[in-house]
Amino acid sequence: MKRRTFLGGTIAVTTLGLTSGAGAQQAPIKIGMSMALTGGLAGGGKASLLGTEIWRDDINARGGLLGRKVELVVYDDKSSASETPAIYSKLLDVDKVDLLFGPYATVPTAPIMPLVKQRGMVLIGNFAFQVNSKVGHDMWFNVAPWGPADSWAASFLDLGQKAGGKTVALLAADQEFAQNLALTARDVAKKMNMPIVFDQSYPPTTVEFSGILRALNAAKPDIVYVASYPPDSAGILRAVNEIGVGDNVKIFGGGMVGLQFGAVMENLGSLLNGVVNYNSWLPEPTMFFDGTKAFFETYSKRAPEAKVDPLGYYLAPFGFASGQLIEQAVKAAGSLDQKAIAKYLRENTHQTIVGPIAFSADGERKENATLQAQFRGIVDKNMDQFRKSGKQVILYPAKLKSGELITPFEAARN
Amino acid sequence: MNRGGTTFWIGAILFLAAAFAMTQLIGNQYPFFACYVILQFIVLAIAWNVLGGYAGYVNFGTSAFFGVGVYTAVFLFKSIGAPLVVQIAAAAIVGALMGFALGLLTLRMQGIFFSIATIALTIVIETAITNWRYVGGAAGIQMQQPAPMAPFTSYVQMLFFVQALLVVLAVAISRYIQNSWIGRGLQALKDDELAAECTGVPTLRLKLLACVISGALMCAAGAPAAMYLQYADPSSAFNLNYSVSVLAMSLIGGTAHWAGPIIGAILLGATQQLLTVTISSEVNVLILGVMLVLFVVGAPEGIIGLIRKARGNRGEGEA
Repeated sequence: MKRRTFLGGTIAVTTLGLTSGAGAQQAPIKIGMSMALTGGLAGGGKASLLGTEIWRDDINARGGLLGRKVELVVYDDKSSASETPAIYSKLLDVDKVDLLFGPYATVPTAPIMPLVKQRGMVLIGNFAFQVNSKVGHDMWFNVAPWGPADSWAASFLDLGQKAGGKTVALLAADQEFAQNLALTARDVAKKMNMPIVFDQSYPPTTVEFSGILRALNAAKPDIVYVASYPPDSAGILRAVNEIGVGDNVKIFGGGMVGLQFGAVMENLGSLLNGVVNYNSWLPEPTMFFDGTKAFFETYSKRAPEAKVDPLGYYLAPFGFASGQLIEQAVKAAGSLDQKAIAKYLRENTHQTIVGPIAFSADGERKENATLQAQFRGIVDKNMDQFRKSGKQVILYPAKLKSGELITPFEAARN
Repeated sequence: MNRGGTTFWIGAILFLAAAFAMTQLIGNQYPFFACYVILQFIVLAIAWNVLGGYAGYVNFGTSAFFGVGVYTAVFLFKSIGAPLVVQIAAAAIVGALMGFALGLLTLRMQGIFFSIATIALTIVIETAITNWRYVGGAAGIQMQQPAPMAPFTSYVQMLFFVQALLVVLAVAISRYIQNSWIGRGLQALKDDELAAECTGVPTLRLKLLACVISGALMCAAGAPAAMYLQYADPSSAFNLNYSVSVLAMSLIGGTAHWAGPIIGAILLGATQQLLTVTISSEVNVLILGVMLVLFVVGAPEGIIGLIRKARGNRGEGEA
């Protein structure tokens, strides 16, 4: 009996020794995520993933994290909400990843929040909008520059008000992101005492906007807040080009998705002039931080091969920054302990290539860093012009400002 | 009960017992997430086959029924916090009513025109839900799963078992239809509706019945998806992908026999799950497309057709 116990003990100790030995022998740190590689969000998803891959290669070249190589485990979520719960369960239960990154955008992220909370894992969010407000996961950290829910609409309406605007028109697509923006815009307008004189949602399949635009013009608004998706953003700007929006409009744009992507911008060319729209990163002098320039040099080289947006301003640097956040937190915690990582992320300001990032209690940015920028002097069919500064002048936030608003909108269009 | 019936019910009980044992023995959550999706597709494919396979009315509106099932559950959960069983039962009733309305459509529309009308149905309902703010509208809605009921320790295990129960129910119904006068009547109207009517087959009643059963099963299969995802948005719930996948599953499996859609759903559903976590790129979409083309060209009657052929050949060889 004694001998058997002794034998068992020896085997146990040896096995333990072997496994821990293997662990010390550089088993990679696995970071799991799903990404929209096919489907409607794939254009952005692939660029975002390239950003994170550049970070992975960078950190591995510098000797890895805690002395271990970093490995990404990525599955395609087809831009759909129905795929992500199974994928994140696989990442956690089968692949046994050490850290989690979120999928790109709100819809694929929303279904995994309860699961991730239940497992007590840190989740670095990737451009989801207010997915944590109901779930309340205290280890959620969104890399996106959104900030508090209403600050987005507030920044645009504030610019409009300062330009002398008193009335607001809302034009929003009947889709998740656009409706969320419109919702906050209504609240903010009310708070700022600006009456909404026109409030219209349109089906996402709409292609012809001249009718809607004529109705909008008839209401004579001073501020036109548009929350649209790529195909309709183009349709709306074409309609504006044809029939105009009237001299009383001080500021036009705000939440138009698509005007951040190289191909769409090149396609629209001079139609963009004068539009004030949101963005996350732009090549203005105020936007370069430690490592930003080097990142975009690498990105430009790798983008053609990866067949992604040649500019990659909107998502790619944030993919890299997600890696930087985790890198700093893991180094500070000295381990992969999720609670320690979360504590560090919550309590500190982190230097990244998209600027300093600090989180509030709900895991969103403490301060809104979503840019509002005005297109200026854009010519047709030229991708390279967007790489220069001065083409999208940053008006908000004040810290990153690179110019003043040209108003009214009709004057800025020329 | 004949011998086939006894074997079937023993098989069904064994299947449920195995599903239950899985929930009690396996701690890893992933198999439940993956198998839930496959079971859901089995129910949908069987439901589709009742109308599409037996009666020959090709329905592209699976996603409409599925989505209505999801949103019935969302509405009941949000308004009165209804438990899962109530959500599913209510979804089945709503689905039956919707199926009845669809059945009335078949009075005036047949063949391709019926199929087009079902696509329109999806779009109309999706637009309505998109504009219904109470259930989240276009922005979608997040929900939190309540605690699972004993003896289940996690909600997804419970959902998995509930979906397994739905599978057994759907198979039993589909099998009954095939072997009864209803199936023979549907078969007759599939071949020639006018001739069937002339020989005394009550075609309208049969079509209505098939639509009601098909609709109820589809909506019932959709209802637990709300709690599975803990999130619902119109573009995911009414995704045309459900319609296309379910149609492909039935065709690949074979529409002439109740087992066809099951085989197709397991094959395609498992392939989809597998490809998602292995190849994970545009290639999975391509593989599914190629599979569908190969089956349509090489085995127009599906796997069931292939099996029958093989059996037939062997029989001739023996004789």
